[in-house]
Amino acid sequence: MTRLLVPLMLVVLAALTVYPIVGSGYGVRSVQQVFMWITLAGSWNLISGLTGYVSFGHVAFFGAGAYAGALLVASAGWPWPLAALAGGAAAVLLAVVIGYPCLRLKGPYFAIAMLGLNEVLRALVSYFEGITGGGNGLSLPTLDASVPIYYVMGVLALVVTGLSWLIVTSRFGLRLMTIREDELAAEAMGIDTFHHKLGAFLLSAAGPGVAGALMARDQGYIEPISVFPLAITVTMIVMALFGGKGTVFGPVIGAVVLFVAQEIVWARYPYVHPLLFGAIIVAVVLLMPRGVLGLLQQRYRMPRTI
Amino acid sequence: MPPVLEVEAVRKSFGGVAAVSDVSLTLEPRRIYGLIGPNGSGKTTLFNCITGIERLDAGRVSFRGERIDGLKPWQIARRGIGRTFQVIRVFPELTALENLLVVTRGPRAEAERRGRELLEFVRLGPLAGEYAGNLSYGQQKLVEFVRMLMTDPTLILLDEPAAGVNRTLLNDLLDAVARLRDAGKTVLLVEHDMKVVMGLCETVFVLDHGEKIAEGSPGAIQADARVIEAYFGR
Repeated sequence: MTRLLVPLMLVVLAALTVYPIVGSGYGVRSVQQVFMWITLAGSWNLISGLTGYVSFGHVAFFGAGAYAGALLVASAGWPWPLAALAGGAAAVLLAVVIGYPCLRLKGPYFAIAMLGLNEVLRALVSYFEGITGGGNGLSLPTLDASVPIYYVMGVLALVVTGLSWLIVTSRFGLRLMTIREDELAAEAMGIDTFHHKLGAFLLSAAGPGVAGALMARDQGYIEPISVFPLAITVTMIVMALFGGKGTVFGPVIGAVVLFVAQEIVWARYPYVHPLLFGAIIVAVVLLMPRGVLGLLQQRYRMPRTI
Repeated sequence: MPPVLEVEAVRKSFGGVAAVSDVSLTLEPRRIYGLIGPNGSGKTTLFNCITGIERLDAGRVSFRGERIDGLKPWQIARRGIGRTFQVIRVFPELTALENLLVVTRGPRAEAERRGRELLEFVRLGPLAGEYAGNLSYGQQKLVEFVRMLMTDPTLILLDEPAAGVNRTLLNDLLDAVARLRDAGKTVLLVEHDMKVVMGLCETVFVLDHGEKIAEGSPGAIQADARVIEAYFGR
């Protein structure tokens, strides 16, 4: 199984590397979107899939990265790759600030706090018009960098997935899972659960921050409702759940399958597309709470790193 | 040498109910102590006060001469107090071996070797790769027991080790406890099964309605009028 998997992954990587040379503009843009969703779903999985602390406001990091990156490009004239890294740093900084109070909350309270945080950020960005442009949005100087952004986004997705692999195979990752399984027992066994959660939370904020800044550069224009929508959080959650939360490749599978499904449905029946997502949520929760990979792992006793 | 554990006038209430009131006890090294009392007498609450899961309302707890009350549970655990729970708390979606690995630091290979050794010791070697949630009740209890041993604690708190365990398994567990004592550890166990307590413990504390009503050798405790009254009524 693993012997087959590695060559397969190399082939896919090679194909994705040469794709922008042969692919259409629409195709490149679509694959870049898939990379973004892999990044978002994989990052959400690091905190929520592993520790069970469900973040309902993870798009806040995406939005923070988008605004930080866009401001640095538009106002300070930074080159976009540097601004993208700064977007990641801004998201991590935000995670530090909110992680300290919010990660002490348990279960649904954490989920609600994260949801609230995202709304607060959106309101703040709208309010400080002088800096952010408020509801009018923020325009970036024109630049066609969609191919370089494709590659950077691809590397980002690869880094997030690689990081997930490293974490899940380490004792740090197993300890994160003990928090999901039984936080009190973990504490009583000498595991510093708070700092484990905080570590996972910071790591989970970085990817969305960078992705947000890249997306801002690519689209050239952002506004509060385009980078802080609840829909992005819901989509990354559904992708991770569909593929298999707490697994390495679950979010990847979820992102690819659901993005493709979404594109097909969106093109043919624009109005039923939210319905599709609703139906998937219900089906996953009812029929396979562990997701596609979780199901396979259990049935065929596969290692959790698959 | 200071006592392993000193509990001084510890008090803990929930609402208006005094779960533990002014309980003091001292544990010397290399001994096995029993903590008995009727249901609701405060045994588990006292465990939780020692391990930092509950905050004290009053009193102090010292471990090897240093105060530990006010520390977080994980800090107390790292100082060398290991425990098991009345209701099993293994990590169900981790394998038996992973359950042991998560509590270790230092080189992983060494931790895995020791983990497998301990699983062999409780005859769970072949099940090392099985999810803990798929194991039987008794097997989970053993996983929890050896998980606690993985942290190499100086003081071991066992909350009803005999509950729900068959005789053979129980005898193995009790043998293990006696050997741990011989290896220099101190054990405090909460137990309902009088036979277990009387056969294994050198000193027994009795709690009733949150108060310590007796302390002594198993023989003396069994003859104590207040203990008999607490258990059987007047």
